[in-house]
Amino acid sequence: MHTTLKIYSIALLVAVWVVLSLLFSADIVPGPIPVFEAIADNLRSGDGWFHLYKTVFRVLLGLLLAMFLGGGLGLVMGLSVKGEKFFESWVMVGLTIPAVVYAIICLLWFGLNDFAAVIAIGVTAFPAVAINMWQGIKDIDMQLIAMGKAFQLPTRDLIRKIVLPQTVPYVLAATRYALGISWKIATTVELIGMSSGVGYMLHYWFGLFSMTQVFAWTLTFVIVLLFIEYALINPFEKRATAWRAVVQV
Amino acid sequence: MKKIVVRNLAKHFVLADRSRIDVVGGLSFDVEDGEFLSILGPSGCGKSTLLSILAGLETLSGGEISIDDKPLAPGENGVRLGFVFQQPRLLNWRSVRDNIKLPLEHGTLTRDEQLNRAQHYLELARLQGFENYFPLQISGGMQQRAAIARALTIEPEVLLMDEPFSSLDELTARKMRAELIRIWQETKKTIIFVTHDISEAVYLSNRLLVVTERPTRVYETVSIDIGYPRDYDDDRLFEITKKVGRLFLQMEAAHAT
Repeated sequence: MHTTLKIYSIALLVAVWVVLSLLFSADIVPGPIPVFEAIADNLRSGDGWFHLYKTVFRVLLGLLLAMFLGGGLGLVMGLSVKGEKFFESWVMVGLTIPAVVYAIICLLWFGLNDFAAVIAIGVTAFPAVAINMWQGIKDIDMQLIAMGKAFQLPTRDLIRKIVLPQTVPYVLAATRYALGISWKIATTVELIGMSSGVGYMLHYWFGLFSMTQVFAWTLTFVIVLLFIEYALINPFEKRATAWRAVVQV
Repeated sequence: MKKIVVRNLAKHFVLADRSRIDVVGGLSFDVEDGEFLSILGPSGCGKSTLLSILAGLETLSGGEISIDDKPLAPGENGVRLGFVFQQPRLLNWRSVRDNIKLPLEHGTLTRDEQLNRAQHYLELARLQGFENYFPLQISGGMQQRAAIARALTIEPEVLLMDEPFSSLDELTARKMRAELIRIWQETKKTIIFVTHDISEAVYLSNRLLVVTERPTRVYETVSIDIGYPRDYDDDRLFEITKKVGRLFLQMEAAHAT
């Protein structure tokens, strides 16, 4: 039922694309067939895989950094009122600074290398992670913890069996959000200062005014992100939140 | 034989602005072994705090409590206590069986023994067939039965119950009360049952303590010498309910002056 709905929605999207490509010339809106041909060509050459790998590598390391920094900060803010008051403004400042500023600063400080890219991604994405984790820790049901204490659960069990399962939805939300941000900032960094990656390829084909290749590279990465979502995050979420299936008897 | 002795129990909280709230003010009572004792008081009095102190969740500010003639040390109790809260407080991500098993998992039982024990109390609470359901898939009454089974599974010497049926509709609550009496008679536990519902307390208990508003102390003790199982339509229960109702009004009048 939901699968058919998903197929319809994707089919509609492709249909809109086809219609638009018929209305405009190929250098403004290229149709799906030339775009997929371009993707196939890029990947056949081997060079395409290299640029894709570079971006995925930077995105995942940056994401890891963001989860680590943001998770730690969110934990401190959720657990202590002092931590909340102290770090709240940091997170807000972090959120308001445009991502491109982080990209420029990191490239100037650390040079035109992967390290700079990963730091820029991590720093840009971490406030979103921190906010989700902060909220998640604050929403932990203290009554369940009192229940655990009344049944004399050791602290280790309290954390493992009562606290952590409650944070799962927030960790998932944080991961999704940070993944989206990471990919956007990664392309920006690559476009400004890298000589590899999807962002660099977009820049290159922009220089040659090839709309087909711009579409092809964007679509390639969208497919990678959808793969991460449906092959990794979604199945984990299904398993971790199976209990939500509300069927009253 | 006396199971629990409470003498001059006092509890106060100090708020952030350093003002002090006296919640329990010099409470004394005894609980006999195997007794069903209800503590009946107006909403917002220190009844729940009293249970939290007995369970070791709160420290006491004054007085003393002994269980089996041994003083209750703060933060620990040598005696196994089962706790049933007002809300079921189940872990929604665990099946009914795993919820009931939870308090056994850090003990000395093997996995098979834990499962057998959980199954036994699950059946006692008439939840067989629902072992693998998640809490959100069963009704509120069944959730509360699972919570009772969880409290019984540690085979407690004393069962503490904090308004466990107050969030259920009256018909479900009546069934649950009858089930509780059946389980109590089968297991011979000592039960301390906190409620603000007069007819509930009268229907369930051997003895009930009417307690005052904050700071809580005992206003009156009422014994109910009527055999079990009891009938809701029993005139003797109704007479006692009326008498306790009058006590409540007297108590409020005394408080107002």
